[in-house]
Amino acid sequence: MALTITGLSKTYPNGVKALKNLSLTIGNNMFGLLGPNGAGKSSLMRTVATLQDPDTGTIFLDGLDVLKEKDAVRKVLGYLPQEFGVYPKMSALDMLQHLAIMKGITNKTERNQMVDALLNQTNLWAARKKALSTYSGGMKQRFGIAQALLANPKLIIVDEPTAGLDPAERNRFLNLLSSIGSNVTVILSTHIVEDVRELCPRMAIIANGELLLEGSPADSLQELKGKIWSKVVSTDDELRALEASLNVISTHLVGGLHEVRIYADASPGEGFTPVDSGLEDVYFLNLAKQSKN
Amino acid sequence: MTQFWEFFTFELKFRAKSVSTYVYFLLWFAFEFLCIASESFGPIGNANGKILLNGPYANTYNYIGASFFGVIVIAAIFGTSILRDFQRDTIQILFTKPISKFAYLGGRWAGSFVATVFAFSGMLFGGFIGTFAPWADHARIAPNHLLWYLQPFFSVAVVQIFFLGSLFFLVAALSRKIFIVYLQGAAIFMLYIIGVNAFSATRSLEHFWSAILDPIGFLYNDAITRYWTVIEKNTLLYSWSGVFLYNRLLWSSIGLLALLAVWKFFPMSVESLTAKSSSKRANLQREQEETVKPRRSLVAIPLPRVNQIFGPGTSFAQFVSLTRIRISNIVHEVPFWGILFLMAAISLNNGHFAGRRGGENVWPVTYLMLQSVEGGASLFFYIVATLYGAELIWRERDTHFAGIHDALPMRETTDWLSKLTALCFVELVLLTVAGLCGVIMQIVAGYYHYELLQYAKELYLVTFPQVLIYVLLALFIQTVVSNKFIGHGLVILVFVVTPILQSFGWENTLYLIGNTTSVTYSDMNGYGHFVQALIWSTSYWLGFMCVLGVISIALARRGAEEGWASRFKLARQRAPRLLPAGIFFLLVTLGSGGWFFYNAHILNQFISAKQGRVLQADYERAYKKYERQPMPKIIAVDANIDIFPERRSFTGTGHYLLQNKTSAQISQIHISDAHAAAFGSIDLQPSISNVHFDRPFHIISTSPGGQYTIYQFETPLAPGEKLDMTFSLAHISRGFKDGHERAEFAYSGTFFDSGYFPTIGYDSGVELDDPRRRHEEKLGELELLPHRDDALGSVTNLFTKQSDWITFHTTVSTSDSDNEGKPQIAISPGYLQADWHKDGRHYFTYDMGEVKTADFFSFISARYDVKRVAYAGAAGPINIEVYHIPAHNFDVDDMIEATKAGLNYYEKNYSSFQFKQYRILEFPRYRTFAQSFPNTVPFSEAIGFIDRTEKPDDIDFAYFVTCHELAHQWWGHQIIGSQTEGSNMMSESLAEYSALRVMEKKYGTENMRKFLAHELDGYLRGRSGEIRHENPLVLVQNEQYVWYQKGSVALYALSDYIGEDKLNAALRNFLMQYRYANATDAQSGPYPDTRQFVAALRAATPPELQYYITDAFENIVLYDNKAITASYIETADKKYKVTLTVQAKKVKADGNGAETPMSLNDYIDIGVFSGKKNHEKQLYLKKEKLSQEKQTFEIVVDELPTRAGIDPYNKLIDRVSDDNEIDVSKP
Repeated sequence: MALTITGLSKTYPNGVKALKNLSLTIGNNMFGLLGPNGAGKSSLMRTVATLQDPDTGTIFLDGLDVLKEKDAVRKVLGYLPQEFGVYPKMSALDMLQHLAIMKGITNKTERNQMVDALLNQTNLWAARKKALSTYSGGMKQRFGIAQALLANPKLIIVDEPTAGLDPAERNRFLNLLSSIGSNVTVILSTHIVEDVRELCPRMAIIANGELLLEGSPADSLQELKGKIWSKVVSTDDELRALEASLNVISTHLVGGLHEVRIYADASPGEGFTPVDSGLEDVYFLNLAKQSKN
Repeated sequence: MTQFWEFFTFELKFRAKSVSTYVYFLLWFAFEFLCIASESFGPIGNANGKILLNGPYANTYNYIGASFFGVIVIAAIFGTSILRDFQRDTIQILFTKPISKFAYLGGRWAGSFVATVFAFSGMLFGGFIGTFAPWADHARIAPNHLLWYLQPFFSVAVVQIFFLGSLFFLVAALSRKIFIVYLQGAAIFMLYIIGVNAFSATRSLEHFWSAILDPIGFLYNDAITRYWTVIEKNTLLYSWSGVFLYNRLLWSSIGLLALLAVWKFFPMSVESLTAKSSSKRANLQREQEETVKPRRSLVAIPLPRVNQIFGPGTSFAQFVSLTRIRISNIVHEVPFWGILFLMAAISLNNGHFAGRRGGENVWPVTYLMLQSVEGGASLFFYIVATLYGAELIWRERDTHFAGIHDALPMRETTDWLSKLTALCFVELVLLTVAGLCGVIMQIVAGYYHYELLQYAKELYLVTFPQVLIYVLLALFIQTVVSNKFIGHGLVILVFVVTPILQSFGWENTLYLIGNTTSVTYSDMNGYGHFVQALIWSTSYWLGFMCVLGVISIALARRGAEEGWASRFKLARQRAPRLLPAGIFFLLVTLGSGGWFFYNAHILNQFISAKQGRVLQADYERAYKKYERQPMPKIIAVDANIDIFPERRSFTGTGHYLLQNKTSAQISQIHISDAHAAAFGSIDLQPSISNVHFDRPFHIISTSPGGQYTIYQFETPLAPGEKLDMTFSLAHISRGFKDGHERAEFAYSGTFFDSGYFPTIGYDSGVELDDPRRRHEEKLGELELLPHRDDALGSVTNLFTKQSDWITFHTTVSTSDSDNEGKPQIAISPGYLQADWHKDGRHYFTYDMGEVKTADFFSFISARYDVKRVAYAGAAGPINIEVYHIPAHNFDVDDMIEATKAGLNYYEKNYSSFQFKQYRILEFPRYRTFAQSFPNTVPFSEAIGFIDRTEKPDDIDFAYFVTCHELAHQWWGHQIIGSQTEGSNMMSESLAEYSALRVMEKKYGTENMRKFLAHELDGYLRGRSGEIRHENPLVLVQNEQYVWYQKGSVALYALSDYIGEDKLNAALRNFLMQYRYANATDAQSGPYPDTRQFVAALRAATPPELQYYITDAFENIVLYDNKAITASYIETADKKYKVTLTVQAKKVKADGNGAETPMSLNDYIDIGVFSGKKNHEKQLYLKKEKLSQEKQTFEIVVDELPTRAGIDPYNKLIDRVSDDNEIDVSKP
């Protein structure tokens, strides 16, 4: 399974250009989609999930024209929207049973097995008969994950899946996703760089509807090796001076002081120490590049 | 205070920015504008043509009505003002700040109050501007008086906004639940309807407590203005006294209490405001903690493999699952149960009163029960369609579940059908519950004849399709609009626009959206001939709505984009699949509509009520000039009539023998065909053809529709000369019509009368009589009956001016095998001479013999059971026969008993019965009257046959009507008055009085007093609704409340003054002297009129009571009698001396109700009683002569007195009848 996105553009009626001639090829594995809020991630994912049409461009899932044969795509799709609500007063069990029928799992035994397995995997078994509307944010998100995985989807689109999960549940979810196996295309959009680093052999960074980078996290990190420098400054004035003169990728607060990370081929000056590059540096660097252009 | 001002202005600004405020304003504006600018809109415009449309009564009444519907608006504005902070979770911010309770609550409340008053003030502006509409009826619009607007606005509407608003505010502040806020308005609305229904069903004449306790106003309005005459309604505002003052004080205090309660009980802290939910939250937390406990491996177990199967089977499974989810969504929410519960409550309540019909108790037969339960429930069917139609269409979007839902592999059709099915399911639940309520109430009422099939037919085949039409419409509208609430507005608009259009004369079923033809179920005839039109109009609109349904599927929202461009794009993609269904339903629509059009517009002429009135007006304008032209009179009728019940048709031939009963030659004869003149029908089918005379003649003119034809004889008809006239008759029913089916023709229960025969000369019965309609057609005032000395009127028969008396002979035939394959019986006045069968038909020959009758006969055919009883009359045996359907056995014996008792009383007191038979024949409830033809009384199934008289004070209506119609055999078939003012009372008042006497013999004097109290009430209300002007009894024109109710009260009181025997003797003398006037072949002479009648009464009345005849019969006189004080002391000889002070006043009213005081010199009952109010035992009763306004009496009685008063039995006409007696106070 491979998803080929070519020349996708979308302008909303209010004039916002959500996607600008975006092309992307996503293979048979986990694909991380990184980008800041409003980058166009959700627009892209909704388009792939058959919920909206682009102005131009094509999307193919192997031989399947996603934009024309929506029903065929929906049969193999597992989709977790970024934000979703639930019907009040419906239990997770009833809702999953319903969605399983909707996804064509007509055999009752299979359906029960699958629903039970997912309830267990998402740690909702004990609360399965409770109304979804009484679920906490994390429980609701887990329910969202469970429904996206019904019916062994071939194309899984999860939009910010780890938002609202506590660390343990996040790990469990990542494990679950990685165990789903081969021959499945998973697109995971997030602004949490760690999710991508831990899970995705391939990734892309998009911002303002444009593709900034596509590649493997490992390759991207390799490129930056030895080019990231760090310095701790104590005052805002110092920080401002550095921002004006150097290529500042990011700043972090460490114990009340600013840690400044700089991209440079060689040491940018006194007090800088070379540090290991992280995927976050890749991300910020690419965003910074784009905003300069 | 500044804080208060902040909250107050914030609330006002919020309302000023909100569209709904202006919508409410415009709604009231439009309502009141139309009430005044259009005569066909609103309760006042539609009712009495003399009430000023902008007068004090009209404004007050309209404001009450608008305030009633305004309950929901008040709830919405006041309720949401306090709820807003909870919905938007601003409480956390708000209540952590130091704000005062008074500022917060007071500001919100005052802002809401001002906003609501503003919204309601639309009525003031709408009304005022309406008075300037150029097209309005300015004869009914007076110069504007500011007080006429402001007084009712403030005293009715603003007070109501104050107390209901405060109540709703209280409930919202303490409950803080949105559905309660919205539901409470609807709940008050419904509970009020239930309360008023229940109260009116008790038929109580109590107007004090009910008026004070009434929160809305219809009851106090009734209590205050019940007997107001036109003049009073056009000049008086409610005075600030009596029940109105008490009512306003009561409810204002309740409003104040509500405000106090809010101030006292509203907690101003976040903690306590969210207390309940936080305990729930704690529970949840605890449960979650428990569930987290066991440690779980982080290693993921591979998910099982499943097979996905897609195909028709899966589509069906998806549909079922979706439908289940949608139904479960609805039934798991409180509002659904609220609606269901309210509907059941209303249905049960209405069902409880299904057997109360006006003044009588009847068996709650299934059609009555269905009418009652559906009447209350149908509003809910439409509310559910509107609300849940929107909920279902918007549910995925409102709950933000659309992202998951829309990406599921299902067809739009599957999804849409599940919505439709869920809604249908809910509607069917409601229908079934309503039906069950009906069955339950039948059991409660002791009616054990369960017609479940009829329930099923009515609920599922008649009502459900109409609901379905509306459901489909609501789904469609919600699909195309961008906002749920706009959708609600549009759906309601479609619903209310139909009756409005209809009242403006837009009556065509084919363009009134979702409108199907109406159906009247009859126990005699089932759904009968209404079925065809119903089926085709239903399938037309259902087909149309299904087309909209298909469009709804094509336009269904799916995915993230809501813009029209993308929705049309999706629609184009979906179109190929949907097209076949769309075309199919379009063909159904066109086919049904085409067939409907062919039947209603091509086979039958379609004429709106308005067009019909134009034709009536044209007839009057063209031919009124011939009204006084002498015509020969009919002296004998012979007819051969063939009734074809299965085709709802008849054909026949007739023969008139006419005679010139004038002193001059007659050279022309004019023939009217009333049915061709649109009178009483809407299809203009002439019934007369082939008119021939026994001498040479030619036609001078004939109107194109055959309404009026003038024939000229070659040789004139000499005085006394006779003339034979023959003609053909027919009425053929073709296909079906768009409503307005002729009630005379039914598969079982054909009943038509001499109106289908040629009328000689101008037929004044065709004239429009409603002044409003006459004004609309630019006709002058209706010409009333002439004065008693009118030369022509005094020699003309009151009932049929084309004849004096006739002899009658007919052969009538009907089908031996009707639409159900059963034989029918055909009946006409007269004695059966022969009957025979030929060619599948049954022929009957009836002949009246030598007895002359009025020219008033009928033809009847139905499937009947017959009960026959012989009665030994004064002049030989009399056959009493009741023709009824087998199911209506309830009153047959009662009717026979009534006939026997009536014959007994009338033969003894008046004269012997002129006939040898008296027959009562049931006919379908499409018309609701009983009518006395010679020895033959067609009696509607709606006013008899299902009567139920059980308790001693129940009014036995079937008995009464039977006696009344029997009495007409004397008063109407022996005595016929001249065609002048007052003559009607000599048939109707006397029949009413006679029946009353027979009833009294059976049920006792006590029962009669209750009956008379209702008669008095009926008279007083009748005169308050008079559209022309009231006449004294002996000059009565067309005022039914005068000739029935006042007539019976006046005659009964007269008999109380002079004695029953004396009055009856006077009536007998009058009868014997004037009966059968003009029953010979001689030239027409005078008929009796009320001058002779009054003379007969005066002859039997002693001089000191002559004033009563002058007052009661020749004038409009009203008493104002009242007991002022009463006390007693015990006398030495163990008796009780009562001192009673009474007031007596009397006034004379003119025809418009303007009153002038009269001097008093009258005999009035003074009475003392023991026992409680309404259960008094008479200790003393004597007529005293009263000549002063206040007089004191000392009366000694043997027993302990408790009540005393003046005219305690309400024998005299008194507008306030319940202050005549008071309690006797202890020493």
